[in-house]
Amino acid sequence: MSDESKSCSTPSNAEPKATRSTVPMWIFSAMLVLIYLGTVYFDHHSGWFSAKVYSPYGNVDELELYQPKSGAAAQLARGKQVYEQVCGLCHGVDGMGKPGQAPPLAGSEWVMAKGTTRLTHIPLLGVTGTIKVQGKDWNMSMAAMGASLSDSDLASVLTYIRGSWGNKAEAVTADDVKAVRAGIKSPVPMTGEQMMKMPE
Amino acid sequence: MKNGFTVFLASFFVLGSSWTAFVLGSAIQLGHEKQTTVLNGSDAYPVQRAGEATLGLQVYRASGCAACHTEQVQQNGMACDVILTAAGKNAAAVSNLVAKLKLSDLSEEEAAATADKITAAGGKVETRIIATGGDIARGWGIRHSVAADYLYDYPVQLGSLRVGPDLGAIGVRMADVNLQLQHLYAPKSVNAASAMPPFRFLFEVRKVGTVRSPEALNLPKEFAPADGYEVVPKPEARQLVAYLLSLRADVPLYEAPFTPATPKK
Amino acid sequence: MNVNEKSNAADVSPGQIDASCRVPLLALFGGAALWLVVGLVLALIASIKFHQPEFLVNCSLLTYGRVQAAANDLILYGFAIPAGLGVMLWIFARLSQAELILPLVPVVAANIWHAGVFIGLVAILIGETSGFAWLEFPRASFALMLAAFILIALSAAGTFGQRRERELYPSHWFLLAALLWFPWIYSTANIFLLIWPVRGVAQAVINWWYVNNLIFVWLTLVGLGVAFYFLPKLGGKPLHSRFYAQFAFWTLTLFGTFLGIPQGAPVPAWFPAASTLASVLLIIPLIAVAIIFVKTVCGAGANCKGGPFCQVKFGTVVFLLSGLMLIAISCPHFSQITRYTWFETAQTQLQIFGFFAIVILAGANEILPRIMASALPFPKFVRVQHWCFMLGTLLLVGSLAVSGIEQGLNNYSFATALPALRISTLGLFLLLIGSLLFAANVFVMTIKWKLGLAKVVFTTVTAPLKTAEVKS
Repeated sequence: MSDESKSCSTPSNAEPKATRSTVPMWIFSAMLVLIYLGTVYFDHHSGWFSAKVYSPYGNVDELELYQPKSGAAAQLARGKQVYEQVCGLCHGVDGMGKPGQAPPLAGSEWVMAKGTTRLTHIPLLGVTGTIKVQGKDWNMSMAAMGASLSDSDLASVLTYIRGSWGNKAEAVTADDVKAVRAGIKSPVPMTGEQMMKMPE
Repeated sequence: MKNGFTVFLASFFVLGSSWTAFVLGSAIQLGHEKQTTVLNGSDAYPVQRAGEATLGLQVYRASGCAACHTEQVQQNGMACDVILTAAGKNAAAVSNLVAKLKLSDLSEEEAAATADKITAAGGKVETRIIATGGDIARGWGIRHSVAADYLYDYPVQLGSLRVGPDLGAIGVRMADVNLQLQHLYAPKSVNAASAMPPFRFLFEVRKVGTVRSPEALNLPKEFAPADGYEVVPKPEARQLVAYLLSLRADVPLYEAPFTPATPKK
Repeated sequence: MNVNEKSNAADVSPGQIDASCRVPLLALFGGAALWLVVGLVLALIASIKFHQPEFLVNCSLLTYGRVQAAANDLILYGFAIPAGLGVMLWIFARLSQAELILPLVPVVAANIWHAGVFIGLVAILIGETSGFAWLEFPRASFALMLAAFILIALSAAGTFGQRRERELYPSHWFLLAALLWFPWIYSTANIFLLIWPVRGVAQAVINWWYVNNLIFVWLTLVGLGVAFYFLPKLGGKPLHSRFYAQFAFWTLTLFGTFLGIPQGAPVPAWFPAASTLASVLLIIPLIAVAIIFVKTVCGAGANCKGGPFCQVKFGTVVFLLSGLMLIAISCPHFSQITRYTWFETAQTQLQIFGFFAIVILAGANEILPRIMASALPFPKFVRVQHWCFMLGTLLLVGSLAVSGIEQGLNNYSFATALPALRISTLGLFLLLIGSLLFAANVFVMTIKWKLGLAKVVFTTVTAPLKTAEVKS
C-alpha cells in the first residue's frame, strides 16, 4: 500500500482497542474532597449569585458593612438599626403596631406632628393610661425605652420613624433631643391627658 | 457511552450547563442592567458617552488597543480611615488619645471601635472607606471597575494583557487633551521607556499655511517634523482622545463603595 | 483487528478508506498549512514590534493590535480547526471501517471555510475587526465558517453512522462531542456579540466563555481524541482504559467548560468564583489523562525519536502542563501575580502550539502518506519539523511565562519583560521554520498528485485513436 519503511511508526493498519479495567474508587473520593473544598471557597467568595457583590467583597453583609455613611443616610441607617433592636419588638418592624401591645407608628398623628418636642418626650418618659391613635383607643403602658439611648441614637430613631412607612416629616436632631432631656424634671411616665395637653 | 445519541446527549447537557450559567445567567443578570445612581446621591450613573467619545471607542477597537491595554481597575480589599473633624471640649485629652490610636488602614470593626473611643472622649470623627489594591496603589484608579462602568459600550474593550498600563481611569490620570495627542503621535516623547508604537497614521503632517494651525501639536525637537511642517490630528485621533478622557471610573456606587475625596453638597 | 472484520461481501480495505479521504483532506490540510505559515509570519511581525516599536509602523494595516489579532485568528481558525477536522474525518472513516461518505461535501466545505478565513483576515487588517478577542472575524466570515463546519460535521457523522463495530472507541466520544461543541459556542458567541449584541459586560462574559470553550475544551477534545487514537495505534499497546477515558471525558468537559472567567473581572463575584471552583476540580481529569497516558505508553513497542509516536507523546504531556498552568491562572492567590501578564498568553500558546499543533501535525504526517498512497516527498522533514516545534514552543512559552511572572512581580513593568520577549521572537521563528517544512510536504504532495492527474488526462486526450474507432 504505502512505503512505510521511511516512517518511524510501526506500519500498523490495525485499529486501536481500549482495555477494560476496574473502577478505582480513590479517584471518586479525591473528586468529592475537591468538590467540598471548592464549594467552601465558593461559599466565601461568590456572594451567592448576587448581582451587586463584586470581589473583594465576599457577601452582601460585607458589602453593606463598608458602605460609607453620609449625613442623612447614616442617620437613617443607624435609626433603623436601633429601632429594630429596641422599638420594633412591640411597634413592629413594619411600624404597624401589634394589637394588645403597641399602637402603630405608620400614619400616626403623634409621629407626624410638625413639632418634635412632644414626640421626643414619649420614649424619654414613657406613657401610661389611654391615648387615641388614629381614632382608636390604646390603653397600654410604655416604658421609657429611649431613656438609655444616647442623644444621637434617639434622634436617629425618631428621624427614622418620621421618614418610614409612608411617614413624611422632618428629621429630629441630636440637639433637639438634648434640649428635651434637659427640660425633663422628673422621669415619670406621662398620662394620655398630659400628652394631649403638651405642645407639639 | 453506548452510541452516538448518548454522546450527543451528554455533550448537550454539559455544554448546556455552562451555557445556562454564563450565557443565559449573564444575559439575565448583566444584560438587563439599567442606569443606577451614585452612592448616597441622586446623580444617574453611567451617563452615555458624548458623541466624539462613542466614535472614539470604535477607533480604539479598530486599532486593536485592547491587545496591549486593559480597561479594568483591580481592587484587592477595602480599609477604613478614621479622621478627627472636631476636637470638642476636651481638646487636649482628645488629641492625646488620637496620637496613641491607629487611625488608618483599619477594618470596619476596628474603625467603629476607634470612632466610639474618640466620640466618648468628646471629639467628632468621620469614617472614610477607601479601596485598596495594587492598581490603586499604582495610581491607576480609585476603585475597582464594575459592570455599570461599561453599560453603554459596544464592543466592551476590557482587554486581557497589560503590556501598557490599565486605561480604566486614564481620563482622571492623564486629563490633558494635548498630552494625550502627543502621546499617541510620539509615545517616547511623553515616556522615554515606552514600548508603545507611535500611531502616526492618526495624524497628518502638512505644510504650515500662512499661520500655524491652532490644532498643531507642540512636540520636542527630536519628534517634531521638519521646519515648515506641522502635525495636525485627524478626526480619528480626536475621537480616540475624547474616548480616553471619558474613561474615569471614579464615582462611588453601591457595589463599589468608597468615600469620595470632596463630599458633594 | 481480525475480530472486527466480518466476512461480509463488501469488506472495505484500509487502502480504499484512505483513498476516499484523499481530496477532502488535501483541501483541509492544504489550506491549514498555508494559514499556519501566514499566521506565523504575522505573529513574528507582531513579536518583532515589541523590541523594535518602529518596525513597519507607518502602515496602519500592520498596527500591532491588528496584526496580533490576525495572527491569533489565522492560527486558530485557519490552521487548527481545519487540520483537526481533517484528522477527525480520517479517524472516523478508519474506525468505522467504511469509506468517507459524501466526499465532495467536505471538499466544498473546506473551500468555503478558507474563504471565510480569508475574508476575516482582510477585515481585521483594514480595521473592521469585531473588537472581541479571538472572535475578530466579521459576520460574513461567521456565516461561511459555520455553514462549512456543519457540512463537514454532517459528513463525519454520516461516516460514523456507517460503522460496523457498534461499540464506540473512546476517540469517538471526544470527537463527536467536538462536532456539537463548536457550532454551539461559535453561533452563540457570534449571535450575542456581533448580530444581536447583549448589553455591557455580558459581552465580555460570553466572550470569555466562548474563548475558553474553544481554546481549552474544543482543542482538548479533538487533541485527546486524536491522541487516544494514535497512541495505541502507533505504540502497539491498547488504550488503558475505557473507564479512565470515559471518566476523563466527563470530568474534562464538565469542569473545563466552566473555566475562563478571569479573577478580578468587573463582573459579579460569582462568575470568577465559579471558574475557580471548576479549576480546582480540573486536577481530577488531568490525573485521569496522566494515568491513561502512562499506562498506554509505558512498555509500548515503538520507540523512535522525533517520529509521530514521539510527537503524540510529547503533545499529550504538554497538555497536562497546559492544564496545570490553567489551574494556576484561575487560582486567586497565584493570579494576583499572573493576572493580565504574559503568563496567560504563554498558557494559550502552549495549548495551541505545544499540545494541539504537535498532535495534529503528527496525525497529519501519519495520514498523508496513507491517503496519497505514496511516501512523503521529504520524509526527513517530519523529524526536523518536530524538533522545530518542540524547541520553538519551549522558547516561546518558557520566555513568555517567565516574563509574565516578572511583569506581575514588578508592577507590570515592560522593561523587565523585554529580554524574554526577544527569546519569544526566536521561538516563533523556529515555529515558522517547522510550519514551512510541513507546508512543503503538503504542497509538493498535492502538486505531484495534481500533475499525475493532469498527466493521465493529457495522455488519454492525446492518445492516438484506434483505427477501428475512426469512421471513414
